[in-house]
Amino acid sequence: MTEIKHHAYLFDATRCIDCRACMVACSVENNIEMDKTRIWVAGLGVTGKFPDLQRGTMVYHCMHCEQPDCMSACPVGAYTRAEDGPVTYNPDLCIGCRYCMNACPFGVPHFDYDKGLVEGAFIDKCTFCPQRIYNGQEPACVETCPTDALEYGDRDELIAKAHARIAAHPDRYINHVYGEHENGGTSYLILSHVPFKDLGLPELPEEPINEVSETVMEMTIPFALGWGAVLTAVTVGVAAYDNKKKKAAEEKQAEESK
Amino acid sequence: MKLNITLPKYLRIGILPAILLVLMGIAFVVAMMRYAFGIGAISDLSYSYPWGFWISFDLFTGVVISSGGFLMAGTVYILRIKEFEPLLRPSVLTAFLGYIMVAIALLVDLGQPLRIWYMMIHWNGTSVLLEIGICVMTYLTVLAIEFAPVVFESFPKLHKVAHLIHKFIMPFVILGVVLSTLHQSSLGSLLLIQPTKLHPLWWTPILPIMFFTSAISVGLSMIILESSLSSCYFQRGLETHLLAKLAKALPITLGVYLVLKFGELAIAGDLHYLFTSGIMSILYWAEILIGVLTPMVWFSIKKNRESANGLLTGAVITLLGLILNRFNVSWFGVKHPDPLTYIPTFMGNVKYFPTFPEVAVSIGIFSAGIMAFGLAAKYFPVFDAEHATEEAHQPSHGFQAVPTPGDD
Repeated sequence: MTEIKHHAYLFDATRCIDCRACMVACSVENNIEMDKTRIWVAGLGVTGKFPDLQRGTMVYHCMHCEQPDCMSACPVGAYTRAEDGPVTYNPDLCIGCRYCMNACPFGVPHFDYDKGLVEGAFIDKCTFCPQRIYNGQEPACVETCPTDALEYGDRDELIAKAHARIAAHPDRYINHVYGEHENGGTSYLILSHVPFKDLGLPELPEEPINEVSETVMEMTIPFALGWGAVLTAVTVGVAAYDNKKKKAAEEKQAEESK
Repeated sequence: MKLNITLPKYLRIGILPAILLVLMGIAFVVAMMRYAFGIGAISDLSYSYPWGFWISFDLFTGVVISSGGFLMAGTVYILRIKEFEPLLRPSVLTAFLGYIMVAIALLVDLGQPLRIWYMMIHWNGTSVLLEIGICVMTYLTVLAIEFAPVVFESFPKLHKVAHLIHKFIMPFVILGVVLSTLHQSSLGSLLLIQPTKLHPLWWTPILPIMFFTSAISVGLSMIILESSLSSCYFQRGLETHLLAKLAKALPITLGVYLVLKFGELAIAGDLHYLFTSGIMSILYWAEILIGVLTPMVWFSIKKNRESANGLLTGAVITLLGLILNRFNVSWFGVKHPDPLTYIPTFMGNVKYFPTFPEVAVSIGIFSAGIMAFGLAAKYFPVFDAEHATEEAHQPSHGFQAVPTPGDD
């Protein structure tokens, strides 16, 4: 394997056989319960009428966005994005507000609703298996996948590979690599034979969806300072006018009393 | 509570406080269950719906109904329209208690309530929620300072402290208005990151401006409501002439809001959603009809503005409609990704309906707020603004010119 500058996954929905070995691998690798894995398989089931049957399966985990919305939303900065792709979560900073769950357009971050104060309720999501990828191994889910539906590699190379595969079998795929540009680009790329919407993937613009709120946030401090200055000016102005009026009234009164 | 009121006798010995205490007790038990067994044990919140009734009611509604505090502080201190003085203290008290209620509610809703203070030291500058957190924490301090003189006035030895605070109140008033402007609008910005989830009838880049504009109307209505209710409960005169002036402002503030609402939809080209989105269209029209159009007409009629009942009715209608807007934006209008045909069990809950314990927590906290308001009004000179008006006629200079209640 060549040196990886930007870690990424490629998922090919046509190859997935819904065996869910990736979920087991994730559970074992990360020592988490089977019903709380960071990867999950969902799909359309078998559709169509015999003999034209079709299967649509989607393997879903953190998309590791280039400009992550969870990271943009988190008030305490519990999310970080590594230069080479992985978006990770730090439970030591998390306050449990669940704003990241709202912000993520893919609904990825999950929360411990069954944990009380003593055990501590945290967010969980795919970490990109740093303990493996930085030691020259593939992420657990990819290594386990028996049909190579999940692949791991450098993002640019995987994009090229995906486009080559579409070119080789234009009849088999929708001519689009989901995640190449969606939400500013993601590190989880998807090829599919059924509309991406049917796989449960949202239709997203090419600009990251956090752009509007980040622009508003940038305007906050200048606005606060300006508004504060205006209010101070108004206060001083009104006070001066008030005092002047009072003085005039007093003088008038004094004159009258003479 | 012994109250000299003309209500039936059984009310005098405090049926209302008793009910409030029971509601608070229920909320306390539920909260303890939540701390022991987790949020899932008492609520219907799920992976699909991480925010529900608590956020819509406790945070969104709680903050917006507290906006009267900064409106009155700005009117009396900054614009020096001193005739509104009698409304200042109750409004500041409402705001102060409102924000405390928000903070307490968040301690139930947060996954890590003991880390709520992390917002003070770990800053992520792109997060709208951080801005709200910091604004609310700071504004709570400002409100405490603004209200402190009222408390100190009750203790003769502390009159000097009350006087000192009043001398330097102006920077805090200005800070309070700035902070309020910021976080009232930022509650709208909180939804900006969900363009794919919030219905286009509500999602717009100018959500913060919408929120601030409607917060002003809510603040005015809240002052009318809280003055009416407390005058009824405490058997004191109602400042109808002052409230009438606030009511006169309402059609204007609501009119601006209405123009913004429909103007934005027209410019964004989303007008067709008004009739094509089923239940969403109905919810949108409901909030506009109840919260904007009806009150605009109602308060345009002089008779309604000048009778106690007319004021109260109008205020309640406005509040219902505008609070529905907060629910629409933060809950009803938000749609999380559709479920697939088959999904793992843990992703299964894609519908949300608040459970009884969930609502009970909010009601309990709200009851505590009402109780605290009652107690504060009973033991501190909240409605007793006579000193203040006397002071207002005395010549003074600079910032000291601000009427200083308690400085006698």
